Amino acid sequence: MTDDTRQRSRQLDRALTACAEGRPEGIDAILDIEGSQLLGVARRILIRHDLAEEALQDAMVLIWRKAAQQRQGEGTARGWIYAVLRNRCLTILRDGKRLSSLSPDELTRMQDARQDLCHDDDWKLLAGKGRLGECLDALDDPARRAILLAHVAGYSHGEISARQGVPLGTAKSWIRRGLASLRECLS
Amino acid sequence: MSSVFQDDVIAFADDYVMGLMSPTEAELFEALIAADPALAAHVARLREQLLPLDLSAEALALPPGFAARLQDIIARTPQDAAPTTPLSADPTVAPVAANLPRAPMRWLAGLAASLVLGLVLGFGGAMQRPAPAPQVVAVLLDDQGQPRAIIEDYGDDTAQIRFVSDVDVPQGFSIQAWTLPSREMGPQSLGVLDGPRATTLAGPDLPVPADAQLYEITLEPEGGSPTGRPTGPIIAKGLAAAQNI
Repeated sequence: MTDDTRQRSRQLDRALTACAEGRPEGIDAILDIEGSQLLGVARRILIRHDLAEEALQDAMVLIWRKAAQQRQGEGTARGWIYAVLRNRCLTILRDGKRLSSLSPDELTRMQDARQDLCHDDDWKLLAGKGRLGECLDALDDPARRAILLAHVAGYSHGEISARQGVPLGTAKSWIRRGLASLRECLS
Repeated sequence: MSSVFQDDVIAFADDYVMGLMSPTEAELFEALIAADPALAAHVARLREQLLPLDLSAEALALPPGFAARLQDIIARTPQDAAPTTPLSADPTVAPVAANLPRAPMRWLAGLAASLVLGLVLGFGGAMQRPAPAPQVVAVLLDDQGQPRAIIEDYGDDTAQIRFVSDVDVPQGFSIQAWTLPSREMGPQSLGVLDGPRATTLAGPDLPVPADAQLYEITLEPEGGSPTGRPTGPIIAKGLAAAQNI
């Protein structure tokens, strides 16, 4: 972790504490520190700007509501904030009703763009330079691909099995074994 | 302890962090996380480890006015209160470091049952909790199948209720908790709540709760049902799972 990341992490902790104390400037601080990155993550999963902005707005409202509960819990502010955003993105992605307003062409474009997120040759960009990249590198290809499709592109077990042409159980077991190896490698 | 249940809890945590659970499964799992610091630590660690994947997304500038619009919304959004004491935490017992492998079989069995069957949930004794343990646990679902509350009945005429998602209580109304020990006895009030907050209920002298006993919460006039029987709409209901597994 670089000094910059560490400092941002501390600032985020303080911002979330402000939210937990009912001070709305905590929300502005989170947007200042992490807003562009959060919107980038949402856009990567949801492809469309409008959906990404909706996801970020919903996530920030949830963060405001639940900050006090979270501050008693485990983990860093940053880990939790990204988890809330990712969950919100996945809910939108899997909400058939929500997406039914899009034209078939738009839906196809979204799916195609998500397909392109985890190319075999440039996945290393996704993991950055740290230890996670090294540990992902050590996994066998199917396990690594399944983990990246799920985490980066928001694929469900069913979508992974369909895309990779394997039974559902195989896709589940790739992810499970892959994460077990990752945990061992990272610990 | 190496058992299928330990593997299950880790697999559930994996699915939860990866976003591979259905919303209902995720809500149930969040209720378990809230009750178990070791599980919360495990989930937090996995999140942190995978965070570089999120930080690699290309940043995107916020559109003009985004922060101002958000401030307008949160100005109208009440915050959820912090839970006073987690249901299964005992302030007299020091928290145990994350050691999932030592979690009691019963807890893990309950986790497996709740998520595999998707209906009832039996976390009988998280590792920090001394006796007494609840006799039954019921997850109360609304008519959409979403979990709303969890009741743990200790069988000594006390029960704990905790809410796992929002319940709107209009001005001038209360929430009342009920159980149906038998058809002959009819619904018995466990207590009236002044809001959807974790509460200890001290009900009347009732038989020891049984497996598959019905629990429900209804919306009643402020102060509780005027008739001693449920009169308002059912907010959520569920069947108990006995904890002697």
